[in-house]
Amino acid sequence: MTTLLAEPARATGPDRVAMTRTRITLGETARQTMILAWRATKKMRRNGEQFFDVTFQPILFTAMFAFIFGGAIAGDVASYLPLMIPGILAQTTLTACMATGVQLREDMDKGVFDRFKSLPIARIAPLAGPMVADLLRYAIAATLTFAMGLLLGYRPGGGVLGVVAGGLVAVVAGWSLAWVFTWVGTIARSAQSVQGISMMIMFPLTFLSNAFVPVETLPGWLAGFVQVNPVSHVVSAVRALANTGSLTADVGWALLGCAVVVAIFAPLSVATFRRRM
Amino acid sequence: MTTTLALRDCSTMLRRQLRHLQRYPSMTLMLVGMPVIFLLLFVYVLGGTLGAGLGGDRGDYASYITPGILLMTVATSVSGTSVSVAMDMTEGIVARFRTMAIFRPSVLTGHVLAGMVQTLLSVAVVACVALLVGFRPAASVGGWLGALGVIAVFAFALIWLGVALGVSTRSVETASNTPMPLMLLPFLGSGFVPTDSMPTALRWFAEYQPFTPVIETVRGLLMGTPVGGHAVAALVWSAAIAAGSYAWAIRRYNRT
Repeated sequence: MTTLLAEPARATGPDRVAMTRTRITLGETARQTMILAWRATKKMRRNGEQFFDVTFQPILFTAMFAFIFGGAIAGDVASYLPLMIPGILAQTTLTACMATGVQLREDMDKGVFDRFKSLPIARIAPLAGPMVADLLRYAIAATLTFAMGLLLGYRPGGGVLGVVAGGLVAVVAGWSLAWVFTWVGTIARSAQSVQGISMMIMFPLTFLSNAFVPVETLPGWLAGFVQVNPVSHVVSAVRALANTGSLTADVGWALLGCAVVVAIFAPLSVATFRRRM
Repeated sequence: MTTTLALRDCSTMLRRQLRHLQRYPSMTLMLVGMPVIFLLLFVYVLGGTLGAGLGGDRGDYASYITPGILLMTVATSVSGTSVSVAMDMTEGIVARFRTMAIFRPSVLTGHVLAGMVQTLLSVAVVACVALLVGFRPAASVGGWLGALGVIAVFAFALIWLGVALGVSTRSVETASNTPMPLMLLPFLGSGFVPTDSMPTALRWFAEYQPFTPVIETVRGLLMGTPVGGHAVAALVWSAAIAAGSYAWAIRRYNRT
């Protein structure tokens, strides 16, 4: 026995346009990004260990460098703080952004991104959402580092505005660099390998910089690298803003570097993400 | 069980552990890599500033921190032993060993002896790197042997501590993280800067923690300077840690 079914009515007029529309507006992209940022924030609240690197690291590093090395490097702790606090601030925010790639890879492995792919949302939203949420982590790192510095006797000459501006430069730098690790997260095979690759990138960049010692004290061959290291520009920018409140060329170089990194790695991350999913 | 059989079982377990080290060299490379990175970092990045702060130059600072780095190598290897013991405890091989007529502590003894081999090899590699980056010891053959002896005794004590931690933990991850504070102790001692340059409270802790007398003894023996009472303190600390850790490890092992 054969059952004849009536042909389903074809969509016409505005409905048809709605069904076939694939372009997502900039406003919708922003809204979807914020929704996924809220999801990432909720995840952070439920997994407290995601805040360890931005809470314990600034406190531990600041105390350790100040009390252990401060006396030997500068004669006393107070004299070392203007050099050290901006360095630790930059180091903490820049190393905190490694977690972005690890979290992304874990999400991709768990399959939640397959669900996102089936939704009519902007391709960049699942990547940009956690990035926006991570701004909170960088802000916590910046606040805690400055607070710890003030507790130890750091008195920034740049005043409140200089400190806030320095903190913002560090946060922007962290956010920009996070796109590199987002890309690493999309190409790596596992969360562990993302962690390993990220450490291999960040360890030399942060420690082979002017974060903890003046460039003049380094051997010639190393000083050459330190001067072109983008982290050194970020550290110098934060140092200038926080300690003197002055807008130096380093601030410009740091922000230009951030713009270049985002311009290269944001599209690259989205492209790789699309190909992988 | 006779002493001969006990020794034979221990050597069998040692051979088993050495084979593991041979087949999985990544752990040994990591144990050597970490102190070498710290050595290079402190000599080349912080060495100029810290050397000047201590009234010398980068070369003097390389000689100053090498004993601390060697002890950091020992502390790092504790983590490797702890992980290796925890893997045995969680993967069920120990349950298999329990059904066999072997000397019970031989499983742990094998780990300790293999840990000693791994640690002393790592120390030798790190010492060679230190010589390459500017470490200039003034020790006689006796000084070198004495320093090696002190390092070996302290390594033996800490490896038993690593075994105890490995037996006591529930997972390999925990066993990997638990010995981490030991890595900080050379920093919170005289490993990287003299304790005189530290604030009072920290100086008090630094002077009375176990790593400081060991570092000072090794430094004195390698640099040909007087050791004073540090040698006795180093040996007392080593004996106390070894005895306490051995008792803890055996008790936990027999209970599981």
